[in-house]
Amino acid sequence: MIKDKIKPYILLLPIMTIIFGIFASGLIMGFMQSLGRFEAIGMTEFTLRYYKEVLIDKGFLSSFGFSFYISIVSSVIAVVVGVILAYLLLINKHKKGIEEIIYRIPIIVPHTVASLLVFNILAQSGVLPRILNFLGIINEQSQFPALVFDKNGWGIIFSYIWKEIPFIAMVVYTVLKNINDKLRDVALNLGSDKKQVFFHILLPLMMPSIISSFIIVFAFSFGAFEAPYLLGPTSPKALPVKAFIEYNNPDLTNRPYAMVINMILTFFSVMFILIYYKVFNLINRYSR
Amino acid sequence: MSQIELKNINKSFDGKTILNNISLKVEEGERISLLGPSGCGKTTTLKIIAGLLKNDKGQLLIGDKDVSKVPVEKRGAVIVFQDYLLFPHMTVAENIGFGLKMAKKNKNIIKEKVDELLKLVKLEGLGDRYPDELSGGQKQRVAIARALAVDPKVLLLDEPFSNLDTGLRDEMREFISNLQRKLNITTILVTHDKEEALMISDRIAVMLNGEIKQIDEPSEIYKHPKSIEVANFLGNRNYIKGNIKEGKFETEIGLFNIDNREQKEVIAMINPEDIYLDNSSNEGLEGTITEVRYAGDRIYYKIKIKNKQIRVISNSDKVYRLNEKIFIHMDFNNGVFF
Repeated sequence: MIKDKIKPYILLLPIMTIIFGIFASGLIMGFMQSLGRFEAIGMTEFTLRYYKEVLIDKGFLSSFGFSFYISIVSSVIAVVVGVILAYLLLINKHKKGIEEIIYRIPIIVPHTVASLLVFNILAQSGVLPRILNFLGIINEQSQFPALVFDKNGWGIIFSYIWKEIPFIAMVVYTVLKNINDKLRDVALNLGSDKKQVFFHILLPLMMPSIISSFIIVFAFSFGAFEAPYLLGPTSPKALPVKAFIEYNNPDLTNRPYAMVINMILTFFSVMFILIYYKVFNLINRYSR
Repeated sequence: MSQIELKNINKSFDGKTILNNISLKVEEGERISLLGPSGCGKTTTLKIIAGLLKNDKGQLLIGDKDVSKVPVEKRGAVIVFQDYLLFPHMTVAENIGFGLKMAKKNKNIIKEKVDELLKLVKLEGLGDRYPDELSGGQKQRVAIARALAVDPKVLLLDEPFSNLDTGLRDEMREFISNLQRKLNITTILVTHDKEEALMISDRIAVMLNGEIKQIDEPSEIYKHPKSIEVANFLGNRNYIKGNIKEGKFETEIGLFNIDNREQKEVIAMINPEDIYLDNSSNEGLEGTITEVRYAGDRIYYKIKIKNKQIRVISNSDKVYRLNEKIFIHMDFNNGVFF
C-alpha cells in the first residue's frame, strides 16, 4: 500500500527536481534579494527597507495602477466580447462553418507578433492612418489618435483583447457545448422565457469557466512584459517593465527594488492561482 | 387538472415520419401510459404535448383550449425527464422553487410552497443540499416536486423509473401512484417497460412505429390484444395457425374443442401461463421439454410438440426436467384469434 502511494512521487521526482531546482531556487534567491541579502555584492543583512520604499514610491504606485488598469480593462472587454462570441457560435452550431477555426487563430500568434501587428496598424505611421488619410477621412496621419505609446495604454489593450477574446470564447464555448441542452428545455417547460434561461441557467453554469478564464487572462496581462514594453508609454510604465528596468540598472545595489516588484507580482500570481483553484472546484461540482 | 386530447398529430424529422395520426384522449385525473419500444415516438409525443416540439399537423387540446400554438412556457404541461435534469448550481429548495421564481412570485409564497412540497415528497430537511449530494430516488422526488410546484394542468413522466435500481423502482412506483391519486392530476407516463405500464396505469396506449395501435385498460391490453404486433410487444406468447370448423380447432399440433365460432382460417394466441403441464395421466398433448428456466416464483419451459415449440409458464412447485415427456392442456376458449 505504502509502495503504491509513494510510486507516483518517485516517478515524478526527475521532473520535479528540475522544476524546483530552477523555479524554486530562482524564487528563493529573488525573495532573499528582495529582503536585501545579496551576498555577491556584499549585502548580507535582512531588511524590509526595500519593501517599504517600493510600496510608498509614487512611481511604483502609478506603475501598479497602470498595470492593474490595462489588465482589468482588457480582461473585462475580452470576457464580455468572448462570452457573446461563444454564445453566437453555440446558437449557430448547426451551421458548420470555417468560423469555428478562424476565431481561434489569434491564440497561437505570439504576444510579440501581436504587439507588432498593433503597432503596424494603429501607430500614427501605421496602415490604418495611411488608409484613412488616402481616403481623405483625415488630412494628415498625425490627426489619427495616438493609440500606441499613449498614457491610456490603448495599444496594449488592443493587443491583449485581440489575443484574449478568442481564448475566452474557446473556453466558454467548450463549456456551453457541454451544458445539457435539456436543462434549457426543463427551464422553458417550467415557465421561463429565453432571457430567463440565459440569466438563470446558462450564465450561472458558464460563470465558473468565465471567472477562471478571466483570472488566467488578467494574471497574464498583469505580469506580461512584451506588449507594455513594445507599445506602452514612457510613463507610467507597467510593473513588469519597471521591474526589468530596475533589474538592468548597472548599479547592482538597486537589484532588491527589482526583486521586491517581482515578489509583489508573484504574490498576486499565487493569489490568482488560489482563486482559480476554488473556481475549478465549482466547475467540477457543476459537471457532476 | 385538465383533460387532454390529441387529434391526428403528425410529426416528421428530415422527411421521416415519427408520429402518424396520433389520437388520444386522457380524462381529467387519469393516469395513462404510452407504452412502446425505443424510437417508437413516445418521447416525441410527450415533447409535443409539453410544447418543446411543434407538431406538423393535428390539434392538441388541454381542457377545452387548443394549445397547439401556445408556447412551452405558457402551456402548463410539465415533463419530469428520465434523467431528472436538476439544475446543478441550485439547491434542492431552489430547484423546486425555480418555476415560481420565474413567474416572479413573492419570496414568502415560494418558501411556503417549497416547504409544502418537500414534505409531500418526503425530503424535509434536505432543501439546502445540492443535486450531487442526493441519491437517484431523492433526485427524482426533487424533479417531481419541481414539476408540481408550478401547478401543472398535466404531468408528463418520461421513463421515470428506468434509471433506478429494482428495489427503489418499486418504491418510487408506489410513491408516484399514491401521489397522483392524492393530487388527482392528469398524468401521461412514457415507458418501454410493459410490467411497469400494466402495474401503474388506468389505461395503456401501445405505440409502435409512430402509431397508437391500441388504447385500453391494462388487463384488456394484456388479455385481448387487437393485433399480433401488440400481443408480441406485451410478451412472448404462443401463436398457433389453424382452421375453425364445426366447433373444432384444427392445428398443426392437434385437434381442440372450441366454442361455436365463425368458420375460418385463424392464428390463435394463447398465453404461456394459460397452459398446464401434467405427467400424472396420459391425457392431453404429448411433448418433450426442451428448455427449463427456473425463476423462483415461476418456471419457464419450452416444450416441443411435433415440430412446434410451445412456451409455458408454470407456477407449480413441481420442476420437470429437460427431455422429460410431458402432457400439456390448453383451452383455446381462453385464446385470442387473429
